[in-house]
Amino acid sequence: MGRVATLPGVPPLIACLALLVAWEFAARVLGISGLPPASDALAQLPAILSDPESLLNIAASLKRMAIGFALALVAAVPIGLMMGRSRTVAAFFNPLLMSIYPVPKAALMPIIMLWLGIGDASKTLVIFLGVSLPVIYHSYQGSRAVEEKILWSAAAMGMRAPARLFRIVLPAALPEILVGCRTGLVLALITMVTSEMIARQAGVGNILFNALDMAQYDTVYAMIVVIGVLGYVLDVAFERLRLHLVGWAAPTHDIVVGTT
Amino acid sequence: MAHAAMIEIDSVSKTFETKQGKGHLALTDISLSVKDGEFVSILGPSGCGKSTLLYIVGGFVAPTTGSTTVNGHLVTGPGPDRGPVFQEFALFPWKTVLGNVRYGLDQAGVPAAEAEKRARELIAMVHLSGYESFYPKELSGGMKQRVALARTLAYRPNILLMDEPFGALDAHTRTRLQNDLLDIWERDRKTVLFVTHGVDEAVFLSDRVAVMTRSPGRIKETISIDLPRPRDRATLLLDRRYQDYVVGIERLMEDPQEEAP
Repeated sequence: MGRVATLPGVPPLIACLALLVAWEFAARVLGISGLPPASDALAQLPAILSDPESLLNIAASLKRMAIGFALALVAAVPIGLMMGRSRTVAAFFNPLLMSIYPVPKAALMPIIMLWLGIGDASKTLVIFLGVSLPVIYHSYQGSRAVEEKILWSAAAMGMRAPARLFRIVLPAALPEILVGCRTGLVLALITMVTSEMIARQAGVGNILFNALDMAQYDTVYAMIVVIGVLGYVLDVAFERLRLHLVGWAAPTHDIVVGTT
Repeated sequence: MAHAAMIEIDSVSKTFETKQGKGHLALTDISLSVKDGEFVSILGPSGCGKSTLLYIVGGFVAPTTGSTTVNGHLVTGPGPDRGPVFQEFALFPWKTVLGNVRYGLDQAGVPAAEAEKRARELIAMVHLSGYESFYPKELSGGMKQRVALARTLAYRPNILLMDEPFGALDAHTRTRLQNDLLDIWERDRKTVLFVTHGVDEAVFLSDRVAVMTRSPGRIKETISIDLPRPRDRATLLLDRRYQDYVVGIERLMEDPQEEAP
């Protein structure tokens, strides 16, 4: 048993199974109508995943999320990097960011809907806002921590300041930037669902909250499972990408120190 | 041109702003002339501003007053004619050994095949053949500094600016790198400005040693090291003249008046 439990992939599997069992028991013991047993909820999954319309909804959600996430990276990374290298730029953006950071981005949804309607534009903008802040913050921290002498080494090779920002500061800060991106990815998923909860039109959140309105609790919980699995899959995929991009920075334990 | 002044430091001083808004005089009235092909060490206790002086020659830090000319041109910023090697190595951690060494060549627009060939030659010269695809984090301190030296030599600067390059290394590694540096230097006799706090290191390597004192940093005396080249450590350690230089310079640095905080 001890040996099996340490195999890769086994501990999370045990955790998932334990959660499902606890859920199943709790639902059967408590008998609340709003809490269906795990088996009932999971039984809805084949129906949801074989229905072309719900698949289109899920795809539409993911598309908005991807666009919002990508636009946020394009805007946030350069801002963060410049803040880290210039006190003036940091002084300009810092108060702005610190006042926007604690505002729940989904709470802005009703206002944004007044400007942009209930379509893709509003939802994408909310996702963009949710992702931008952690990415700016971590890009800023990463950029600030870049060793000055690395920049001097590049300057001595004849590289000018604007080029150094993208060719030296960006790669040097990449491990920290990707920490922000990982937080951003989670926030993208959260804002994606909540934006669809507020602007009911299409998407994962729309299926979930419509089912809730109609008291189809099996479907509600099945959708929560779908969102959870989506989050897990995205995170695993992101970790793969991260290791590929910044493997050079990963801590290793077999460093030979003190020998030439 | 063989003995024209390669570096001309003229009445340079540097004042830093402290956090309390007061000025801290780090360097005062430094003048030093370094000939083409000369190996000059700047020797001094920590905090005497010797590294700052090197950064001013490199164009990384601007002097408060005075000026520096390199090869007849006023220093206004960094340039590939002056190659730095830092105590902290300052390698690009996302690049392999080969990627680091060829970086300056790619930056200068050297064709890829030629850049790779030259980078591999330099890696061989610093005895790191076989490590081309290693990342900096996989290397020991001594190996990192070899990479940093190769990276700087690759773009053929006229002047090497070495900022306590072996200060972070253990004694054995330091000795090996000093020997290797002299071997490399004997081949093309670049102008070297070498900052250190090690008296024996300065005497072993240099043609001249500029001894600095602290608070404010100034050059106390410049001593010509008249020892034959190429130098061999074992021979030199037994050489009376070498011992006299080391003892003489140590006395110079031990001036009790300098001990006051």
